[in-house]
Amino acid sequence: MENSNAYVTKETKNSIHVDYEGKLSFKERMMSKLKTGNTWIKVAINVIRFILMLGVSYVILYPFFSRIAGSFMTKEDIVDSTVSLIPKHFTLDTYKFIITENHYFSAFFNTLLISLVCALLQTLVACLIGYGLAKFKFKGNTLIMLIVVVSMIIPHRTLQYSIAPHFINFDILTVQAWGYKGPIELILGKTLILNNSMWPLIILSITGLAFKNGLYIYLMRQFFKGVPDELEESAYVDGSGVFRTFFQIILPLSVPMMITIFLFSFSWQWTDEFYTGLFWSSADFYLMSDVYGTPPDSLLQYQTFAGWGLYQNVIQNTAGMLIIAPLLILYLFCQKYLVQGIERSGLVG
Amino acid sequence: MSENLNQVSEELEVSAPVIDNSELDSNGLLKKRKKVSLDARKARAGYVFVLPFILGVVLIYLPILLDSIWFSMSSPDYATVPGDIVYDFVGFEYYIAAFTDSSGFTVSLVAGIQQLIFEVPAVIIFSLFIAVVLNQKMLGRAAFRAIFFLPVIVSTGIMETINASDFMSAQSQEGINDGSGQGGANEIISALDVEKLFASMKVGGELVTYVVSIVNDVYNIINYSGVQMLIFLAGLQSISPSIYEACRIDGATGWETFWKVTFPMISPMILVNGVYTVIDAFTRTENTMIKFIEKQAIGSTYKATAMSWIYFLVIMLIIAAIAAIASSFIFYQRRD
Repeated sequence: MENSNAYVTKETKNSIHVDYEGKLSFKERMMSKLKTGNTWIKVAINVIRFILMLGVSYVILYPFFSRIAGSFMTKEDIVDSTVSLIPKHFTLDTYKFIITENHYFSAFFNTLLISLVCALLQTLVACLIGYGLAKFKFKGNTLIMLIVVVSMIIPHRTLQYSIAPHFINFDILTVQAWGYKGPIELILGKTLILNNSMWPLIILSITGLAFKNGLYIYLMRQFFKGVPDELEESAYVDGSGVFRTFFQIILPLSVPMMITIFLFSFSWQWTDEFYTGLFWSSADFYLMSDVYGTPPDSLLQYQTFAGWGLYQNVIQNTAGMLIIAPLLILYLFCQKYLVQGIERSGLVG
Repeated sequence: MSENLNQVSEELEVSAPVIDNSELDSNGLLKKRKKVSLDARKARAGYVFVLPFILGVVLIYLPILLDSIWFSMSSPDYATVPGDIVYDFVGFEYYIAAFTDSSGFTVSLVAGIQQLIFEVPAVIIFSLFIAVVLNQKMLGRAAFRAIFFLPVIVSTGIMETINASDFMSAQSQEGINDGSGQGGANEIISALDVEKLFASMKVGGELVTYVVSIVNDVYNIINYSGVQMLIFLAGLQSISPSIYEACRIDGATGWETFWKVTFPMISPMILVNGVYTVIDAFTRTENTMIKFIEKQAIGSTYKATAMSWIYFLVIMLIIAAIAAIASSFIFYQRRD
């Protein structure tokens, strides 16, 4: 090299600064860059892109801001047209009444238990099934993948009038309309009554048939397809069995993807009211749908208030904020895994 | 030459069974056992992995499906056997009734499909665009990603119901219609503005309506695009950087690179997202048809079940149509 007296002034992971004889000063380099039109186009594109992203972010975030702001307002502020985001009369009453009178904490812990159990089961089962479909060639592999997709396409709302009775009088292999007895009834003499318990959701989760499980299985399958076969082959050669390889080598690899699936299933179960509505009917088992369904009694007295419709909305939005608050906290911690997991999945067709 | 090598390696794979310790006897010799090829044993292991799903489908899901189909074709008879319901088979009576009676099923169905035809392309184009942008290096990328995926986590189920019944934010939102349908006065742009814009370009009125409705529905479209964005982003990440490098060296512009490299490579994801968007849109709580069917169910669950099956068949037809359209431009990279 000519410039043998070049030396490194600063070196970081991503960049390296080199000084050498005859290097133009920073100002001169910038000036020469500005003279070419290319730089201007680049700057313009960057600015436009940034503004566009800001705009879309605003659309996404604005409802949150307006709801959080509204939740601190008194009913007078809500009808006051001069108040938009900052409340004049600050109050925490809306929160207080929802938490105490709509059984927020009871609903919170019930939902937490349901969501945790379902999400853990669904994640693990999606891993198992996804791995089986991705890495093993067996008869019916494609057929099973097809059934996975179909089970996702048939809306459970289509089936709700037969799902609920199936779990209220639970038996396997029975078509209730045909009226024959299933194995469980033949052995025990009666069907299992599973409503008002977590069993229906657990059974659906274990078998990979719960809400949007088809998507999880698909994502896991694509992820495992991206894992090189050589990894397992070397484990097999070293004498590790199929299952040991899966649990000790493949699962640790797929933690980011599993966190993604866990995040999906946890938060979708958390905000679910369809399944909990199907399987729980008892009045003293509180769920998130009780928190937002009706305004708390202490606030119902304002029903004659002129802006009641608006106020009712604010109460509902406040309840909504309370419902998703735990999810937002969870998302803050997990969101980097969300992108990471998907990025590493190398999804291909 | 390479073919030969491939053959040899295939043979090697087959003829080199994995030896577990359990297969050796006390002298360290192989036990006499039935010869099972590695492939066959791997296939068995595969069945074990998917066993939960197979069991679930056979033991629980299929009976539920059959029940549902049967319900849609039968009428309950409480009189014949006291205390027990007997189902009389009525064939396709409910199916025919759905189309012929005055419940307005056909109207809702057509409206639902129209909504979908409008929504699917918008969601796909928007999510692809955002994914491409989020894939580039830019200021605040991590923060934008976090914000853009937020709706995936918090805009389903209960929140969807709350969003739909919320006209507070529509009123305070000065210009953003959040899909509640009540923000008529607050639309971002009016059809008139767009018509002015398009008047000189000689394009049809349908396009104008389409553009206007998309812009005014932007809140919903953004909210429904989360998972699609993630899937597209994952697809973009899996494109080898060396292809882009080769393009740059050959002097391709960004535009050319997008249409000749990025788009074909991402096209399988377009099919996946198309199917997902249709499923998501059709099974959402706030879907017109779902609401309609639930309203019908108050009268007769049997009829509602029949309607949901017609609805499902329509979804299948639409998905098949999307798959057919997509297959004309999908490009599968050969992976060796």
